[in-house]
Amino acid sequence: MVTILVAPLLVGGICAVLAALLVLAERTLVNYGTCRIDINQGGKQLEVKGGRPLLATLMAESIFIPSACGGRGTCAYCKVHVLEGGGPVAPTEATLLSDEERKADVRISCQLKVRNDLAIEIPEELFRVRQFTGVVERIRDLTHDIKEVRVRLAEPDAIDFTPGQYVQLQAPAYGKNPEPVYRAYSISSPPSDGGHVEMMIRLVPGGICTTWVFEILKEGDEVHLNGPYGEFRLSDDSGKEMIWIAGGSGMAPFWSIVRDLREKKAERKCTYFFGAVAERDLFLLDEFRALEKELPGFRFLPALSGADQDGWAGEKGLITEVVGRHLPDGEGKEGYLCGSGGMIDASVKVLTAKGIPEERIYYDKFT
Amino acid sequence: MKQSPHMQRVAARMAPGVLCRDGFVGDEPRRLELILETDASTIAGLGVTHEAIAARLGDIFDRARAGLGTPVPVGEGLVATYHEGMGRIPCPWGGCGTFPKGEVELRHAESGERLLFTALSVHMIAAHGFYQGRGSRYRIEPRAAARLLGLTEEA
Amino acid sequence: MILAQLSLESGPSIGLLAILVSAALTDNILLTRFLGMCPFLAVSREMKSAFGLGIAVTFVTTFTAAINAALYTHVLEPLGLHVGLKLILFIVVIAAFVQLMEMLIERISIGLYYALGIFLPLITVNCAILGTSLFMINKHYTVVQGLVFGFGSGLGWMLAIVLMAGIRDRLKRAQIPPALEGPGISLIITGIMALAFVGFSGMIQ
Repeated sequence: MVTILVAPLLVGGICAVLAALLVLAERTLVNYGTCRIDINQGGKQLEVKGGRPLLATLMAESIFIPSACGGRGTCAYCKVHVLEGGGPVAPTEATLLSDEERKADVRISCQLKVRNDLAIEIPEELFRVRQFTGVVERIRDLTHDIKEVRVRLAEPDAIDFTPGQYVQLQAPAYGKNPEPVYRAYSISSPPSDGGHVEMMIRLVPGGICTTWVFEILKEGDEVHLNGPYGEFRLSDDSGKEMIWIAGGSGMAPFWSIVRDLREKKAERKCTYFFGAVAERDLFLLDEFRALEKELPGFRFLPALSGADQDGWAGEKGLITEVVGRHLPDGEGKEGYLCGSGGMIDASVKVLTAKGIPEERIYYDKFT
Repeated sequence: MKQSPHMQRVAARMAPGVLCRDGFVGDEPRRLELILETDASTIAGLGVTHEAIAARLGDIFDRARAGLGTPVPVGEGLVATYHEGMGRIPCPWGGCGTFPKGEVELRHAESGERLLFTALSVHMIAAHGFYQGRGSRYRIEPRAAARLLGLTEEA
Repeated sequence: MILAQLSLESGPSIGLLAILVSAALTDNILLTRFLGMCPFLAVSREMKSAFGLGIAVTFVTTFTAAINAALYTHVLEPLGLHVGLKLILFIVVIAAFVQLMEMLIERISIGLYYALGIFLPLITVNCAILGTSLFMINKHYTVVQGLVFGFGSGLGWMLAIVLMAGIRDRLKRAQIPPALEGPGISLIITGIMALAFVGFSGMIQ
């Protein structure tokens, strides 16, 4: 009888003692104390509690490194240049880094634990990145597979960005998705409307974020996003004529850029080639045609590449062919491209063939 | 036999919601290694290789991509259409880099047979012999693919 | 052999040397008792990680043997619970110790921590460690004797894995029949090593 009481008590007691020992060990051994992080060679100095991944540590100090997978070590977006103090490369990092990156001391910040003082280098623009919460003000269908989501920012209530930049939208845990992930979308609203962020989101079959946007997200829902990120923007050389090529959700940064140009009453010669397969893939046609009247020098050229376009009076053919037909040469011109890798590769080919040097072709490659 | 830790990590990354909404194993109850073995023996029995199938699919992918969304004839009565998808997705094996999203639909003009695949699925066939689990959107049945691509003599 | 003569004499300190040598050589936990084979085969590819794992296993075996001996003789036996609870408690102690050691290794050498990877927590289920504690109980060792026995046992395991790592390094340049590559040749070599270690059996009576 006594045995039935004593045995469990004994096992429990010993386990408790061991557990207490381990907790004590963790407090002393795994405690890395305060570590100093030097950013951009003295540009900014942080004093942080060690022991957490660099990505999370920086986020706690309001410095947001881009990350799609939320720190799970799969997306490889969170690369940071670590000058000193990085230690050996973890196996989970090694699989995501190329040999050149390893030689250049590039690390995957969500897998690098802060154990000692570090010196890192990050692009200056990342200091402007903030974390926002907002409310969905409007969702409207632009085409059968593209939605425009307009978010009213709540906390902070305004965003400062250059037209052409993007934000990362958080898709929360839902249905089959166990943890939040982030996906990048260009800001399609102009900077003057700083209290809002508009995005054009195209449905990806089996996509975690787009499935959430298309099936679950409703007007009035709260969303989380961070930004602005990205280097895609107009050059400062206003003397150059611009050739824009984008279709589908690739229009997003241009919708922001062109409305900003309209507000600034800029007089830059610009031709926007909008490629699509069929009429059902076209959108904002009226708005762009109106812009042709409001913006001197702006021309809008939609083109359909699919067969059987009998009702269509506009340009026909692959967008690269249409560009080829309308562009006499590359003299004094710049190219701006936005869309999938295939479209960008084909467009770069046609623009360089016309004589526009590669340094004057700017693009935001979504893939 | 238990799965090796490496394969367990790979299988964990293939689960729904990790890299994409539905994952890569569809409705399969089978372990990843068993799926790989079964498909590998089917392929060996047909006298083709993973590399041959992947090379043909990769070639079709590039030609369809150049079509920018319009159907492109790719030989043997087949037509391929590329549907854009923005963003990149890493390989669940890790260390293989990331691949552009975007799918290609390969149709046989007469029989209507269809194959759906992405740049990632082509890579997984070539590098890992993985055709995805049954029920996955991009599952390719090795036998059907080999026949459709003209790599076997089956009627 | 001198050691055989020494073991005939009684006295705790001499007994300890005999215990150490027998645990490490004649009664080698891996090559004589065939315990702890899984990590032995897996981690013996590289000398550095083999050595590191050997040290880790020795650390765990030494202290868990001592603690388990203390637990057994001073807590379980007096309470009469030694038969039923020894397995559970030994395993719990081993698991706690391995966790402690993981933290230590992560602190001291992050490179070794990464190199050992999954094999560090796997030390918990290394049958050589539980086996050491159970053999020690069979031989009715005191706490000090248990400590020395654990140390010798761990050293013996480390000796085996380091030897294997060295041999495998040589094998990289050797010609092996294709059918025997990998586990085949490794197990054959282990068998030959075990035979060699039988040669030590005359050392201790």
